[in-house]
Amino acid sequence: MNALDKESTFAIKLNAESCSKCAACYSACPFEAISKEPETGKLLLDIEKCQVCAICYSSCPAKSITISYYDMNSLTRYLEKAKDEYGSDSLVVTCRGTNLDRSEVEQLFGISEFVPLSVPCVGRIPAEVLLEAVSRIGIKAVYILACDEDYCRFERGSATARLRVTAVDALLEQLGYGKDIIKLKQRSLKVRADRNKCISCGNCVFYCPYEAAKLEHGAATFDLELCRGCGLCVSLCPALALDLEHWEGDRISTMISDFSREKGRPNILVMRCQWAVFPEFDEELDSNVHVIDMPCAGRVDPLHIIDAFRQGIDGVLIVACNEDDCKSKKGSKEARRSTAALKKTLGQIGLGERLHFCTVAPRYPGSFREELHRFTDTIKSACTQEVRQ
Amino acid sequence: MIVTAQKPLDEILDSLSPYNSILIAGCDGCTQPPRGLREAKSMAQLLELGGRLRGKEFTFKVITLPKQCDSYLTAAPLQTQIKDVETVLSLACGLGVQTIAQVLPDIPVLPAQNTLFIGAEIREDSTLEERCAACGNCLLASTGGICPIARCAKSLLNGPCGGSQHGKCEIDPEKDCAWDLIIRRLGKLGKLSALEEIRPPRNFAEVVRPGRLTT
Repeated sequence: MNALDKESTFAIKLNAESCSKCAACYSACPFEAISKEPETGKLLLDIEKCQVCAICYSSCPAKSITISYYDMNSLTRYLEKAKDEYGSDSLVVTCRGTNLDRSEVEQLFGISEFVPLSVPCVGRIPAEVLLEAVSRIGIKAVYILACDEDYCRFERGSATARLRVTAVDALLEQLGYGKDIIKLKQRSLKVRADRNKCISCGNCVFYCPYEAAKLEHGAATFDLELCRGCGLCVSLCPALALDLEHWEGDRISTMISDFSREKGRPNILVMRCQWAVFPEFDEELDSNVHVIDMPCAGRVDPLHIIDAFRQGIDGVLIVACNEDDCKSKKGSKEARRSTAALKKTLGQIGLGERLHFCTVAPRYPGSFREELHRFTDTIKSACTQEVRQ
Repeated sequence: MIVTAQKPLDEILDSLSPYNSILIAGCDGCTQPPRGLREAKSMAQLLELGGRLRGKEFTFKVITLPKQCDSYLTAAPLQTQIKDVETVLSLACGLGVQTIAQVLPDIPVLPAQNTLFIGAEIREDSTLEERCAACGNCLLASTGGICPIARCAKSLLNGPCGGSQHGKCEIDPEKDCAWDLIIRRLGKLGKLSALEEIRPPRNFAEVVRPGRLTT
């Protein structure tokens, strides 16, 4: 593949022709993926550093960045369609990191009818989309749930959204659409520890990538200011004394039970890090494929995997970020290790190939589907062999 | 910590084949890797799955015990769980298995682990390494806190041997040469002269097997 063809597979591109060289993207990028040629002022993207947060995209005044997911056109197209579909003029935008349930919206924002929009980081939504939603599409109120700023997986995404909301809100008011059209809230999801179940083994103290866990007075205690909700400690706790808000073990188990009742053949469970794969608006997977988006691959619990097989799931695919991209430092690495160990054990009862671990990145939009396709083929042939036997 | 390795599932399933109703007993004590409630539940699910593939349906109950090797801590919680149980599968080391055999004289107990050694966790590498040989005659005071009995492949008292290469052992280049570690550490502490002291021969009969100590 030559360099140009290769570039066409990237999720994001800087277009030199229309670039005004203002370098807003360069200053906005939290990952130093954009550099500036000192002599020409030309802006260059290092795709391997890019996390596709799209903060650059939403900050570019010249609109000279192309992006694969949630670009301005597809966002406005979605809003036009969804407004009729949901029959509401309230819009609820959430960062997928907040994992907001539909049922929680009423409690949080006091509305029950709304157009939902979940995006990987609210910092990626350009001001123009919010303005158009209100001025042209007829949205009367916008509710945004972002992650707490120190919890944002893209460092500056949540803060960028806050500043943008303030500006757009002021502009809408000046334009006569009313005061506080956009309401912004923030939250984060963290570990919960049950002192009564803790056996003081100290596993969480070692594994926490953020030094949030301590052993005090005979039990693990967590500094929730430091916890970033990766869930690694939860998946490794030998005493099952920990849980993660909104990714509770029971909640995931219920999802797995529901999936296993569906009789797709082969019935495939995908547990994927929500930062490794950004679904498209119209993500449609085959009906036999069931996806659980995890806060990090580190939250993938071997118990859930075994339970899935026990309940009749034919294959389990674990999708993580590359170790260098992992938003919670150790999550991907530990998930790889624990999946490999479990695969070995499952191999002892002939189920080793039913579990597969892979890493993908949103910067290569097709990579998840390729992995899924390959895995589905493996599971299909394993199921056929089993039937023959 | 007492380090154990799980037996292959096939071997465990073979040993369970005469039984249907099984209590799986984890241990929250020193066993490493941890063999607590998580491991007990995971074992139950794996065996249920493995049993089904063999055409056998088991019924499992799971429990974890604070220290399976302590008969006082183990007897009471076990008694509450053994109704209708045909066998107990222990996830603990050999001590735990034998304690259960002692407190449940009428029920067979089966081991799910092979007990390997007294070791420590090198968490960064996800490994466990032998550290103490329970020899009954501790010489760590003169070897810089590093035991050559447990950590030298030959248990040498005067090392290193000629097989020590670049700080690694000739029998396995993944393993450190204990005497290389000892000499480096004593050098750092300025205590290398400790190795020049003439010491009486070690008494290897300090612990007469089976060991017994009255307190």
